[in-house]
Amino acid sequence: MNLARVRGTVVATKRSDKVEGAKWLLVEECDQAGTGKGEYLVALDMVGADRGQVVLLTQGSSCRWTSRTDDRPMDTLVVAIVDEIDQQGESTYAGGG
Amino acid sequence: MVLARVKGTVVSTHKPDSMEGLRLLLLEKVDAVTLKGKGDYVVGIDSVGANAGEIVFYVTGSSARMTETTKGKPSDATIIAIVDVIEKDGVLTYEKSTAEGAQGA
Repeated sequence: MNLARVRGTVVATKRSDKVEGAKWLLVEECDQAGTGKGEYLVALDMVGADRGQVVLLTQGSSCRWTSRTDDRPMDTLVVAIVDEIDQQGESTYAGGG
Repeated sequence: MVLARVKGTVVSTHKPDSMEGLRLLLLEKVDAVTLKGKGDYVVGIDSVGANAGEIVFYVTGSSARMTETTKGKPSDATIIAIVDVIEKDGVLTYEKSTAEGAQGA
């Protein structure tokens, strides 16, 4: 899974995915310290993530392995909100809760 | 899912029977902040009725076969949504209603 930071939301009413109650997040890929890489994706929110939080992305066909996305055309999901990242004993990121 | 702008259509007469009737659109990936094209193009199959100039997002890989339009079809890039609004850091970076006409194809 890749790390990303939630930067905003995307609204789309005309869709073919049939995911109920879908909330789309604009996420920016980031490094282990939460620094953005300038690459953005639209991701389906599975966990109620908020702007500014570092999250875990699941991409590709693995996205269909949840009850909400089974057989749905989804290739980018926010599957977890990151609390803390530790690299060799040093904290590189700590979420503000 | 990847953000892109519909730039035009692609026509092909020589293709498998399973691809008959599918609408092929020329997409240019866009920067989510400036909405400017990145010069990176991809052909996507339309499953939502997207038109030139619209900002859309599409899915790639095996997920591209999971719409009603592309079930069982050899698609690896399918447009699944037409974007109305993009908000970044509390600021609207894109609004379809205001962008229409101004952007064109």
